[in-house]
Amino acid sequence: MVAVYAWQLASVRAQETQTNELLDMEIAAAAQGPGPDSTNGLGSWIWDAHTFDRQSCLLWRSFEVPTTTTVTHAQIRMTADNEYFLSLDGRELGRGVEWHELFDYNVTYLLSPGKHVIAVSAYNASDSAGMIFGLQIDLADGQTMEIKSDQNWRIVPSSEEGWKTKTKAPDTWPTATIVAPLGGSPWWTRPSRVNTMETLLPVKLRLWQTGWFQISSLSLCAATIFLSLRLIGKLAIHRRERWLLQRERARIARDIHDDLGSRMTQLVLHGEVAQSELASDCSTRLQIERICQEAREVLCTMDEILWELNPKRDTFRDFASYVCGYAQGFLKSTQIQCLFDVAPETSSIVLELPFRRALLMAVKETLNNAVKHSEATELILRIAHPGQKLVVTVCDNGKGFDRTRLKPGRNGLSNIVQRLEEVGGVCEVTSHPGQGCRTELSVSLDHRLRWNTWGWVLDKSQHSDQANKANPLEANYS
Amino acid sequence: MSIIPSTQEAPGLRVSKPLVATQVSQPTTKQPYKVALVEDQPKVRESWTRLISSLPDFSCVCSCATGEEAIRAIPHEKPDVILMDIFLPRMSGIECTTRLKEALPETQIVILTAMDDQELVFMALEAGADGYLLKRTKPSELRSALLDVLRGGAPMSSQIARRVIESFRRKTKIRDEATRLSVREEQILQLLSQGYSNKAIAHKLDISIDTVCSHLKHVYSKMHVSSRTEAVVRYMSSKPSSQASGS
Repeated sequence: MVAVYAWQLASVRAQETQTNELLDMEIAAAAQGPGPDSTNGLGSWIWDAHTFDRQSCLLWRSFEVPTTTTVTHAQIRMTADNEYFLSLDGRELGRGVEWHELFDYNVTYLLSPGKHVIAVSAYNASDSAGMIFGLQIDLADGQTMEIKSDQNWRIVPSSEEGWKTKTKAPDTWPTATIVAPLGGSPWWTRPSRVNTMETLLPVKLRLWQTGWFQISSLSLCAATIFLSLRLIGKLAIHRRERWLLQRERARIARDIHDDLGSRMTQLVLHGEVAQSELASDCSTRLQIERICQEAREVLCTMDEILWELNPKRDTFRDFASYVCGYAQGFLKSTQIQCLFDVAPETSSIVLELPFRRALLMAVKETLNNAVKHSEATELILRIAHPGQKLVVTVCDNGKGFDRTRLKPGRNGLSNIVQRLEEVGGVCEVTSHPGQGCRTELSVSLDHRLRWNTWGWVLDKSQHSDQANKANPLEANYS
Repeated sequence: MSIIPSTQEAPGLRVSKPLVATQVSQPTTKQPYKVALVEDQPKVRESWTRLISSLPDFSCVCSCATGEEAIRAIPHEKPDVILMDIFLPRMSGIECTTRLKEALPETQIVILTAMDDQELVFMALEAGADGYLLKRTKPSELRSALLDVLRGGAPMSSQIARRVIESFRRKTKIRDEATRLSVREEQILQLLSQGYSNKAIAHKLDISIDTVCSHLKHVYSKMHVSSRTEAVVRYMSSKPSSQASGS
């Protein structure tokens, strides 16, 4: 009795299992889409000629979508024993580790007209190995392309690099071997399940990933590098020119000093000796005295030229020292007492020849005005450099004047203004009758630097013009 | 020496005639001052020799063409003043000054320059010179300038004074008490750099001109000492190995 019951139960169970299997197959068939069979479009099981445990097998196949039409639907259906990685045109599409099941990939949007490459990297853990594949492409003109796993596939040597994107296979790649037809042993006739993967969409490129963006940024970089190199080159040339100019200036200064200077000095000495050996009432003695005096004045002028030329005398201290010395010498024979207020040297500003010259000329003119017109008894010469500026102020305690009543062009003022303007400087005169006169001469050193920098970028001949401007010969003899 | 008030002007500046006149009459009874000359150009050397000898109470006892010759010959003569050209072949006038000052600390050394360059003058003063003269100086001014130096009151121009203050401030770390400027000395230098004459400074500080001059003399000697100390320091620091083995 018990035995009969057990048999009945067993048969019911068997029936149930059968129904379940049928149900699964129906689901699979439904998931598969329009085709009546879940194995539709699949090729054979293929693999390398040799099969062994823990084996990697790289399978490759290329195909071409006609350029005359477009793809309306494309689907890959595949699996492998034991594992696979699928990629299309180098892009990883997915992986599977279950040989009982099939995997569907919708690649409609990935197949543009032209050549494409399918690369499957499969792995066998043990025993039998195979990969089964089917790609069905529906075209707009009604035709259907089918790519199946067959002997058109190639086996890629494991040492090969970049094989996933190679559109042409070299002859050294062997063809794939069919290890079993669809449904053949040891694999299934019906898959236990069909997995439909998410529809694959073309990779959306970000702005910086697009080709034109990369090309334009690359060319921008190249342009920047080019400009920088150009600028560096110009700077080097400029520095070289400056160096040459300085060397030349030093040479001229040395020549004047060694030759002209010493000969003029000799002349003065000869004159003095001749003078001392003549009787004091002799008229020739007076003549010689005049010659000596003239020669001394020439030497004074030469001193000034040498100071201007000497590239070592371009510091703030040298400038202050020279201007003070000049003022003291100039005002010595007048009733004006000259006092100085010189800022201590804190920074190492460099005063180029044109600046020194223009400022010295302006100071000379100002002192000359003071002696001629001011009737002052005291004069203060102030030299300071606030920031990137150099300011020379001359204050006297003379009778002063009313600026509005000055006749234009009849005084040295316009001369001073013009001299300073040549180097981008400003002259400011404040005076009231009876309250002395204050003349402020200022030159901005910073301004010139900036102008020069952009000048090089904008105009290639700029730097040599600058050098010419600073040419001592031109400055002195033009 | 201090019977006559010193002139406050720098060499090559205005000469006060009466002072020269009194000076002329004074030392005629005694030996003339001995002057040595170092100058490389023969014609200039000859002219200077004749000029110096033509000055009353000065005689040129030795004239050398190079610094090397000067170091050999001049110490035997023991002159009162040495006139030194700043540019000499091989050994420069500045180096020669330092060496001669070591051999003859009492002798006054006056630097001769063709060009008025305050930087060079400052270097020479630091090296041990007691004054400087432009080569084109008139004979009358030359005489008063030499007398100034011999009295120890070598005048200092405002530019040099400014330079001296700066250099003492900058090197304050390596100075000891003896070579640091006193408050009074710095005060005088400050006024000099502002353009005041020795006379005006004496008036302002309510001291005699002679006191001003003697302060300046101290400044000069401190400059020489400190420049020598500095040279030693520089030498020691540039040769760390010899210093290490010596200690």
